[in-house]
Amino acid sequence: MRLGLHVCRGNWSTREDVLISGDYRPLAPCFSSMNVRQFVLEYCTPRAGELEAIGPVLGADRELGLGVVNPRTTTAEEPATIVARAEEALEWWPAERIFLNPDCGFACFANRGVNVEAVAEAKLASMTSAARTLRERHG
Amino acid sequence: MLPRFPVTQVGSWPRSEGMLDALRARRLGRMNCGEFDAVVDRETARCVAAQERAGVDVVVSGELGRDNFYSFITDKVAGTRLMSLAEMLDTVENKAAFEEMLETLDVPASAIRNPTCTGKLARREPLAVDELQRVRRLTGKPVKITLPGPYLLTRAMWVTDFSQGEAYHDKPDMAADVVKILREELGDLAAQGADFVQFDEPVLTEIVHSGETKRRTFM
Repeated sequence: MRLGLHVCRGNWSTREDVLISGDYRPLAPCFSSMNVRQFVLEYCTPRAGELEAIGPVLGADRELGLGVVNPRTTTAEEPATIVARAEEALEWWPAERIFLNPDCGFACFANRGVNVEAVAEAKLASMTSAARTLRERHG
Repeated sequence: MLPRFPVTQVGSWPRSEGMLDALRARRLGRMNCGEFDAVVDRETARCVAAQERAGVDVVVSGELGRDNFYSFITDKVAGTRLMSLAEMLDTVENKAAFEEMLETLDVPASAIRNPTCTGKLARREPLAVDELQRVRRLTGKPVKITLPGPYLLTRAMWVTDFSQGEAYHDKPDMAADVVKILREELGDLAAQGADFVQFDEPVLTEIVHSGETKRRTFM
């Protein structure tokens, strides 16, 4: 059984200005001390900082659940954008240790969802389309 | 065996009007467990179908029967009470500051509920084995189960006015039982064949990034 840890910056509002801001660098020692195989990390917003904040620390032996779509926006990301982001991660993580995820849930709070079903499904479809391209290039 | 770049989700899925109605009715004691489970079964089937159509590699339940990703444990754990943030307002030391924080952060106090510790914590039933079994009936793909992490739960559940007493003298005392409950759950999920268990710790970032403002979110 695979064990993962998800960390983001809050997902209770669609207003970017009220959510938390800052990269993962200060959490690196905490992450590397954990007996966890995969870190499922928000990475689609500039508030999350860059992959280099954590890549050198976790890239060697952990999996990355890379956040590639924003659960709070109303249109699906282009697959090409997702492919480019995953290819950036290849600088620190090998292809077999990268998973693709949204940045967080689509409705962490039942009556305070941040998206609708049709957009959520379109975002999943963009991710699977990007995954097919990534497998062709880095299979 | 998963392909390279497996596609999955972090966990929660938008609730339909029907699901929200059922959650409200269940919370108010106007719907029995069997009726509620039937709605969750039906809605989870729709959520899993959407994931299958999109072609994801690891399927999640969508957390559709949960009030929120961590408060739902009040359905499963003795010694807890589901409380809206509005109810908790009366117990915080600085009510004005708490209200201002909710306002500033765009958090509706009546719509967000907390799993407050009110006594000795113990699982009445597993936290998410029902979600695992429900998804297993719907798909042959690997399944990821999501659980609130120990830090988030400890921080949210401890509300001194309600939590301090015979069962626990302080927060670390209660935390030991939170960890015990999560360890038991992990064992059950492993025994039931979960492929992936993800703990959610959304506010670890707050500890390291709210230093200047001393801001604290509601969780």
